[in-house]
Amino acid sequence: MSAKASLSFGELIRGTRNVAARELGAYFDSPIAYVYVIAFAVLANAIFMNDFFLAGRVEMRGYFDRMPLLFAVFLPAVTMRLWAEERKQRTIELLLTLPILPLQAILGKYLASIGLLTLFLLTSLPIVIMLATLGTPDYGLIVSGYMGVMGLGAVFLALGMFLSSLSGDQIIAFVTTTVLSFVLVLTGDDRVVAVVDGLAPALAAGTFLRESISVMPHFEAFVAGTVELSALVYFAGMSAVFLWLNSIVLERNRG
Amino acid sequence: MIQVDNVTKKYGAVTAVDGVSFKLETSQITGFLGPNGAGKSTLLKMISTWLIPTAGRITVDGFDTQKEPLAVRRSLGYLPEHNALYDGMRVDRFLVFIARAHGLSGARMKERIEWAVNACNIQPVLTKRCFQCSKGNRQRVGLAAALLHDPKVILLDEPTHGLDPLQVVKFREFLMDLREGRTIFFSSHILSEVLGISERVIVIQHGKLIHDGPVTELEKQARERKSDVETLILDKVRKAGVSEAGREVRA
Repeated sequence: MSAKASLSFGELIRGTRNVAARELGAYFDSPIAYVYVIAFAVLANAIFMNDFFLAGRVEMRGYFDRMPLLFAVFLPAVTMRLWAEERKQRTIELLLTLPILPLQAILGKYLASIGLLTLFLLTSLPIVIMLATLGTPDYGLIVSGYMGVMGLGAVFLALGMFLSSLSGDQIIAFVTTTVLSFVLVLTGDDRVVAVVDGLAPALAAGTFLRESISVMPHFEAFVAGTVELSALVYFAGMSAVFLWLNSIVLERNRG
Repeated sequence: MIQVDNVTKKYGAVTAVDGVSFKLETSQITGFLGPNGAGKSTLLKMISTWLIPTAGRITVDGFDTQKEPLAVRRSLGYLPEHNALYDGMRVDRFLVFIARAHGLSGARMKERIEWAVNACNIQPVLTKRCFQCSKGNRQRVGLAAALLHDPKVILLDEPTHGLDPLQVVKFREFLMDLREGRTIFFSSHILSEVLGISERVIVIQHGKLIHDGPVTELEKQARERKSDVETLILDKVRKAGVSEAGREVRA
């Protein structure tokens, strides 16, 4: 085999897919993924059904509205192992001395976590089927809601992966990701914005945080059925920034 | 071929490798000796592209480790220290993952995996998960993974760690069989093991190269001194340790 100094596009894709397949398999090598998916499905669907019977409306808004807080707890558990475990088991040296780019390793792991997120969301399909049976839901609203949830999850997963790369300890990675995910959610809450604004009215820091870093205004637009370009740019941009920071951490490991 | 030119690696104020230079030729087995903490693993990690040298240049099979790391990794079969494997993976799936990372697929991948499995004698553990393998089997799985893509340069960090004496003997024979057309560089802190396999020995102490030469030359020197090779090398290591300690005291 000849030793080329660069990768073709096909090799880039194949290498990324190889890492993604290994990572996705690793979730299911232990009971972790099964426990996460079942716990998420039970919790998310139970909360929705409770709201559904109280409100009596044929829509999924109640399900989507609960996602930010559920994701802030569940997704850090998905990402905490991605790099922290590689460091702890010392397999990071094995992985990054294979003929793959750090970008392929990062994207592969990220895609695997997106795959697990997709599985989480697939557990809500019975809700869609139930709504279709009971009445005529607004499918456009449901699709944009799912898009918002995927965008939200993509940001949290990229954040979690970056924080996992900073630590060899999965617990630390989990706690820091959960805290920062809650920050991204709560800075969009009207009550929190009012309190923070009230601390220094001239600065209006709460409003500034909601408009600049919070995930909520963008997510809520999708849930309301509005697919905004600015929201798409926010989700893609925030995810890209965290993945880029992840690549810097990996490069620094090589000293 | 591996060429190491005046390579230094510093961690803050600590110099792990200090201005080391040597060149390793094809069809040669070179042993890399040194006490624990001498800088052996750091140097091997730099050759493998895992660490970046603070100064100096390393080429593997003509490729620069800093400018063309992918080409270096394609030419290199590397067994890192501690031989970390993906514990939850089955051995056969682990080998497929490594083979694919090296760009192998289809019949060629199947052929190479079969070769590595037979050469490293890991058929009995193929369907086991890596964490279920004994230390010796883990080492052989790591070795099989390092050899899957038929590398021109083989870099082994403490390869016999965890192997029983019989396995060590088999490993020596295996390495001798691989020798033709390849550059093999392996580290150990066990003197007899290195002398038993290598044609050339490089010794490092406190990050500095204190000996580089063929084993036959060492044997000649030992005969002249009416000593043995092991004593000769240990004397060199002790002298280097004393002079380093003296330098530190003076500093």
